[in-house]
Amino acid sequence: MIVAAMVAFFAAGSNKVETAAGIEQTRPVTISGTSLPELGSGTDNAIGQLVPEVTGASFDGTPVAIGHDGRPKLVLFVAHWCPHCQAEVPRIVSHVNQTALPAGLDMIAVSTSVDPAKPNYPPSTWLSNEDWKWPVLADDDKSDTALAYGLSGFPYFVATDASGKVVGRTSGEISMDEFDAMVQKTMTVSPG
Amino acid sequence: MTTEQVTLFFAQLAIVAEFTVLVFALLVIGGLFSPAIARARTLAVQTIAPAALGLAFAVACVSMAGSLYFSEVAHFVPCKLCWYQRIAMYPLVPVLGIAAIRRDTNVRIYGIALAGIGALISSYHVLLERFPSLESGVCDPNNPCTLIWVERFDYLTIPTMALSGFAAIVVLLLVAGRHESSRVSAPRGKESTWQSTRQPRNGATPVTTHAAGSSTSEREQSGSGVASSRS
Repeated sequence: MIVAAMVAFFAAGSNKVETAAGIEQTRPVTISGTSLPELGSGTDNAIGQLVPEVTGASFDGTPVAIGHDGRPKLVLFVAHWCPHCQAEVPRIVSHVNQTALPAGLDMIAVSTSVDPAKPNYPPSTWLSNEDWKWPVLADDDKSDTALAYGLSGFPYFVATDASGKVVGRTSGEISMDEFDAMVQKTMTVSPG
Repeated sequence: MTTEQVTLFFAQLAIVAEFTVLVFALLVIGGLFSPAIARARTLAVQTIAPAALGLAFAVACVSMAGSLYFSEVAHFVPCKLCWYQRIAMYPLVPVLGIAAIRRDTNVRIYGIALAGIGALISSYHVLLERFPSLESGVCDPNNPCTLIWVERFDYLTIPTMALSGFAAIVVLLLVAGRHESSRVSAPRGKESTWQSTRQPRNGATPVTTHAAGSSTSEREQSGSGVASSRS
């Protein structure tokens, strides 16, 4: 058996993942505004705070922006290697396909913490395979967008109202009832 | 030489370890019901026992080499549970190595304790990989224990390989030293004829113990030492 192991060992080839030309797993981002505090376990001090504005691009270079453009947003931060993200993304896709998002709400995924050495790489293929049809912002290789948004764990949701103020944040897998509650929060208008 | 190739190599060694453990378990369980299997078990023990300490040492060495390769060459960052398993595995290398050279079977209890703890941690880690929500619903952005760095044959992950190593070490240590005074004989009914030789701490005469089925006439004495028998 050890001999068989040695034979297979030397016969095995590389499984390097190839992606299509023009597809980049990380893209430069430009961030302006005050960073959100990291989400802790107590009261969320970021509620009511304006989110940082981010301009960047999707995997294929399509411009993507998260800003104060008068539209409520649900921003989902995912890491390709995170098993909880791998469980949550298809659940959200299926749920939103069945129930539809409220008109005027933008749902954006941010692919961050990208590491070619980690499983389920590349994230572009993963999200494509999961039929994620909403915009995806490819974070830079230092995960600056995630840091600016106060990410503390994956998956990470940040809900903003039309004025760009935080109305809710949550870290970790959530049920679809909690997802719907986050969506409802984005449709409210923050005072001031 | 790619990481995939090295991973495949270690995965196949893990399968060899698993096969060993499985065969041992089948012989032990089958031996309870079948005299023929009991004889096969005794023969297998007698064959493996002289080399068992050395083999356990080799398993510990390969396991340590694998873990160091994954972290230092492949740059898979060890998580918290990986470190706990390292704490259990790495000391086994010098402990079992020295014991193998000195043919000191007293090491079994210490080795089994360390490997047993390691196997428990590995088992929990494997469960966590399969059911990430056991611990929490959140991925630590830095280095979660739920992260599956590699997977071969649809089940062999790094903690699974570690579990295979720990289990093989436990089995080899259970067998170690059981050849010196054991004898091949058909079991009477469901009785076990296993015997083992315990080395006294002062290095004097071995003390023979009879696991079961012993009688006064079977008790052995050797040299000037005092032999005792337990059933």
